[in-house]
Formats: sequence, structure tokens, C-alpha cells
Amino acid sequence: MAGVAGGNDFQWCFSQVKGAIDEDVAEADIISTVEFNHSGELLATGDKGGRVVIFQHEQECKNRPHLRGEYNVYSTFQSHEPEFDYLKSLEIEEKINKIRWLPQQNSAHFLLSTNDKTIKLWKIGERDKRAEGYNLKDEDGRLRDPFRITSLRVPVLMPMDLMVEASPRRVFANAHTYHINSISVNSDHQTYLSADDLRINLWHLEITDRSFNIVDIKPANMEELTEVITAAECHPNQCNVFVYSSSKGTIRLCDMRTAALCDRHTKFFEEPEDPSSRSFFSEIISSISDVKFSHSGRYMMTRDYLSVKVWDLNMENRPVETYQVHEYLRSKLCSLYENDCIFDKFECCWNGSDSAIMTGSYNNFFRMFDRNTRKDITLEASRESSKPRATLKPRKVSTGGKRKKDEISVDSLDFNKKILHTAWHPKENVIAVAATNNLYIFQDKIN
Amino acid sequence: MEFKVEAHRIMSISLGKIYNSRVQRGGIKLHKNLLVSLVLRSARQVYLSDYYGGICLSAQQAREWCEGEYMTSDQDKLIPGSTESLSESDETSDVAVDKQEPRDVVESPAAQHVETQASGEQDSAENGLSVSGCSDINTPEESPEATPTCEVASVVTAISSNCISAPSPSDPNEATETPTDCQTDNSESAENHSDEPKAPQAYTNRKRTAEDSELTDSPTKRTKVTSTSLPSTNDENKGETEEMDTSNVSSLITIFGSSFSGLLSNKEGEQPDSEAEDSDSGQICCDQMLKNLNPWSTAIVAF
Repeated sequence: MAGVAGGNDFQWCFSQVKGAIDEDVAEADIISTVEFNHSGELLATGDKGGRVVIFQHEQECKNRPHLRGEYNVYSTFQSHEPEFDYLKSLEIEEKINKIRWLPQQNSAHFLLSTNDKTIKLWKIGERDKRAEGYNLKDEDGRLRDPFRITSLRVPVLMPMDLMVEASPRRVFANAHTYHINSISVNSDHQTYLSADDLRINLWHLEITDRSFNIVDIKPANMEELTEVITAAECHPNQCNVFVYSSSKGTIRLCDMRTAALCDRHTKFFEEPEDPSSRSFFSEIISSISDVKFSHSGRYMMTRDYLSVKVWDLNMENRPVETYQVHEYLRSKLCSLYENDCIFDKFECCWNGSDSAIMTGSYNNFFRMFDRNTRKDITLEASRESSKPRATLKPRKVSTGGKRKKDEISVDSLDFNKKILHTAWHPKENVIAVAATNNLYIFQDKIN
Repeated sequence: MEFKVEAHRIMSISLGKIYNSRVQRGGIKLHKNLLVSLVLRSARQVYLSDYYGGICLSAQQAREWCEGEYMTSDQDKLIPGSTESLSESDETSDVAVDKQEPRDVVESPAAQHVETQASGEQDSAENGLSVSGCSDINTPEESPEATPTCEVASVVTAISSNCISAPSPSDPNEATETPTDCQTDNSESAENHSDEPKAPQAYTNRKRTAEDSELTDSPTKRTKVTSTSLPSTNDENKGETEEMDTSNVSSLITIFGSSFSGLLSNKEGEQPDSEAEDSDSGQICCDQMLKNLNPWSTAIVAF
């Protein structure tokens, strides 16, 4: 039902879709991360081929003020290349696992992008002027013969076609033995953390040859390994606080002021398991795939396989809200285990005001939950509903025996069409949804 | 019964996943393999607990039947309680870590039955398996199946843990230890590459170096069961495949049983006889699985 995130007359409608329409999807084109920058003006996507594509929000048309501007390609660059670790005979994938924007401090934009092993800081800058009239070199750049120079002139800046350049400013490498799953920029704008399966490192943005290890859960005997780190994030306004989630469904909040090595947590969030729902796959579905602080910093949200939970940082023993994303899959866990879908890592995100949360599902469905009204909605990212400004129709999965019209049965769901990555504009009701190799942008219909 | 079938299926699927993860691009993913090994362990526990639920009921009958079995069995190898099997178990125990326990259990199974029935699942896991060799028709079928899966789980844990422990740069002690292990196993596996029954020996060595208590239990279980498995594979095999709904899974278990027991019996001349008695599907699976076992050792070396 409409009414999520903005009132009862609120509706989501299609805005744009980016990406090829072919049925044959190249693996390298599969989008692996989506992130708005802090103003919402830029939208970055990373794919499995190691490329980053940045879209920029065009200024609203003056003729038609009721339409929001579109997002158009601003810059494309190859962030990571496939590498080979000769010592271990392992290939390192170039897939971009995460992109995080730095807060803007000057005219250029900076972002961190990471694959399994290496984090890079990219500067995306604009160049729209060029200096002309040098004394020592001519227009082609060739050096002029000094004896030919008979007069001096001052070079003049002339306008040129806008050129967007992306250049790697820092490369943070060789600090992670295991696969990096998260990066998070700290609120001090000077440091950031990177997390792999067993360790979390704290970096300074200016220093690439050193990082501090702040969490290490590697047991002395690897055979005693019982859990791994699955996600980590810095607190949005307390630069000494961060959280990390584990494969056992627990979240630990750590304060960097207590010790150099934050192996002992300050807070431990865990919901007791319901013994009646125990199965072979209980451990897998309780593994947390994403953790996100709310913009206020008061709450955090975790995503496990079947649900999204909102936690109050002041209450550790259970979440304050739990939303079922696709509970109808609980009886299908065995087949989802066989086809590896049970290992899918869904992300989740908050809207700008923390009143709504969004996460993805299968069959190109994504779900939104309004925390105030407790209403939820299921929408689909599909080419069929991709007419300009077409309102998205709510979808429903039938769980009972009788399937109503327009409902889809659980067995008809396409588990290859999964929405793992979504992003919500920090200020407006604009969302970006990654469906395999396509990026859908939806916005609210202004009535 | 359905739980057992389901547990079997899940275990074989999990093993397939762990094997496939070795060839995936980007290296072995620790998180996914940890989850798969947890599922494997859960399935194994369900399978074993379901199995022991049936054992406890027939303990009395099993004991009487067992003593009769020792006298009348025509099988010349690895019969529990007989003098021949005692010599066998001596040989097998030379290979395993815990020499005392298996011999004690094998020598006096009747006395052990009464004790073990009262003990917890951990103990019953060990002793029940020796009981299984001589109890009614269901249990011999399950004994080779149960232990190989224990071994498989521990093998899997060992492999994944060793694969993971090798590349740690911040732990120099570990880094030096595990390559040595890898090298030892590599030389063994390289030598024995063509010799199928010996390929699992790489894993035997690995389990010996493990400090985890769970892993040290498994060699114990293995030696006990292998002393009972061959009679069952020889004369019960055809009956087993009829009883089990998933024949390929039973073949998987039989393969593990025969391959590990072949290793431990040290009578490789007789090994082909027992394998020849496997069902056709078992033989095919046997070849496939044993081929699959060899690359695992190279995976360890890679890490």
C-alpha cells in the first residue's frame, strides 16, 4: 500500500533505468555496490568488473519545476584490476565490494572503493578551464626554442569542454589477509576503518603504509573458529565508536578510547534464538549481512537472511523493531541452501529522516517499511513498469493456498533476480535499486 | 528415518559446496565455508542422534546377537571380539592416535554395552559404533556411514581450518607450522597420488596434529568402526542399498567406509575384493569421490 515514507498520498514512481537490456548479462556488469554521496548530488555504483560509474543529478529544469532532474553519467573509471597472489596461488577478484564517499571539503569529490584486498582513495575533479599562452612551450606542448622567445606574456585561462577526471590519490594495500567486507569513513573525516572476516583495521586517509589493527577475532587455533566479522561501521557522530556484526547474529559496539585493541566490546547486542524455529540452517539465516547506523546515531539496523531489525543502542538484549522481509522463504531453506541463495548478502538502508527503511529481496522485489505507521510495501524493479513517471504498483507474494489475482506464488519467484544493493537519497525521496546489471532510480510523485 | 535421509542429503550437498569452493575465483571464502561446515555438523549430529535413538532400544538383543556373530561369521577380517579382529585392531590402532580406547572397546564389547548405553551422546557415539557392528541389520549399515561422516566433518574442518590458518602474516608461529604440515602432506600425497586408499592418509596425519578434542575423538571412532565396517560392506552392502532410499548417498558412505577401512586394514590385497562387492553405482561414485579426495591435499598445499 502507498503511504510509506511520507504520508498516505505518497507514491513511488519510476524515474530512470541504467544498464543494458540484454537478456545475456555479462558477469562483469553485475552491480556490486550503490552509494549516494552526502549531498545526494552524486550516485556511485561499483560492479564486478572493477569499474566505478558515477552519476550526477542534473539541475532541475526551469521550464518544468515539478520534475526532478535526472541522474546522468558523470564519470566512469576502472578502479580495481584482477590481481594474482603468487605466494598463495590465488586470484584476487576485481569486484568492488564497497564504495564510501568522503564528505566534500572542496570542489573535488573523494571516494573510497575497495575490492577483497585493496582500498583506493579516488579524487574526482572537474576541469573546465585550460591555461593558454605559455612562454616556454607552444600550444602543442612542445618546448619552444629559448632563442626564439622575444617577448613575455601572461598565460590566460580559457574555458574548455568540461572534463571529469578520476585519479587514484592513495592506495591502501597489504593489510588484510582475509576478504574485505566493509569500509566506513569516520566522522572525524581523517580516519576510516576496513573490516575483513577476522580483523578490523583503522587507517588514516593520508597514510598508506600503516594501519592500526583494532579488532582481531582470529583464534589461536583456527580449528576453534566459530564466527567471522560480516560488517562494520563507524558511528555517524561519535568518532570513537564503531560496531561490527558477526556471522552468529551478534553485534558488538566498541569504544576506541578504552583500549588500543578493541577485542572486548563495550556493548553486545544479541537477540535470544527462538528454539522452536531451530533447523539445520538456523545459523546461516541468523548471520548478519549488513549493519547501518541511523543518521541520528541513536539506532542501528541489521539485516539477516529473513528479517531486518532495528536496535536502540541503549538496549542490548533485543531489537526494538523487527520486520520480516520474506518469511515465506523459511520453509524453502533447504532448496535455497542447495542453490546457494541462502548465502546472499542483502543490504539495507535508512531514509534521510530515519523514518523508513528499505531492503531487497528476490524476483527483483524490494521492500520498504515505515517505522512510524508500521506499514510496509513491496515493489518491483522491472522493465515492464519502466514507463516514465509510472507509478509503481505494490506487489504481493501469496503465502497461503489460494492465490489472489495479481499475487505471485512463492514457487514462481525468480531467485536469480535478486536485489542486494539499494540506496536512499540522504535528503529527498529518491532511491537507487541495483537489479543485477541494471540500476533503477525511483522517486516520489509530487502531487 | 526421514530425518536421516534428509541429513544425509544435506551432508553430501555441503561436501560438494566445500569442494567447489576450492575452484572458485577469488579464493576460498572463509565465511561461506564456515557456514557450510556448521550445516554439515548439524546434519551429522541429527543423523547420529537419530541413529542412537534406535540403538538404545535394541541394546539387549544386540549384545546377544553380537556374541553369536563372533562365532559364526565367515569373514576373516576385522570382526570385533574375535582374535583375528584383535590383531586387526592392533594394526589399526598403530595408525590411530588413541590406542587404548579402541582396543578396550573391541575386546570387551559386551561389557561396554551396558556402560555406554547410560552415557551421553559423546560416549555413545564411540561405543555405539562398536555395538553397531554386531547388532541388528540396521546398524551395520549405519556404522560405516556414521563414522565416515564424522571423519568427513573433521576432515572438512581440518582442511578449511588449515587452509585458512596458512596465510596469516601476523602470526609467524602458525605460518611456519602449517606450511610444514602442508609440505608433509604434500610429499605423502604426491607419492601416493596414484594410490587411492592412501590418499586419505594425508588427512589422518592432519587429524593427529589437531589439538581440537573433537578431532582427536574421530580417529578413535574411525578405528573402531573400520574394524566392523568390512563385514558389513561385504555381506550387508546389497541389503543396505535396498534399505536406504538415497542410494547415491549410501554409496558415498560406503566409499568412505571402504576407502578408510582399506587404509587401516593394511591388507590392500583384500581391499579390491570388498570394493568389487559394492554396487555398480557405488563403484562409480567411489572412483569419483576418491579422485575428488586427492585434489583436497593440493588445496591444502596451495594455502
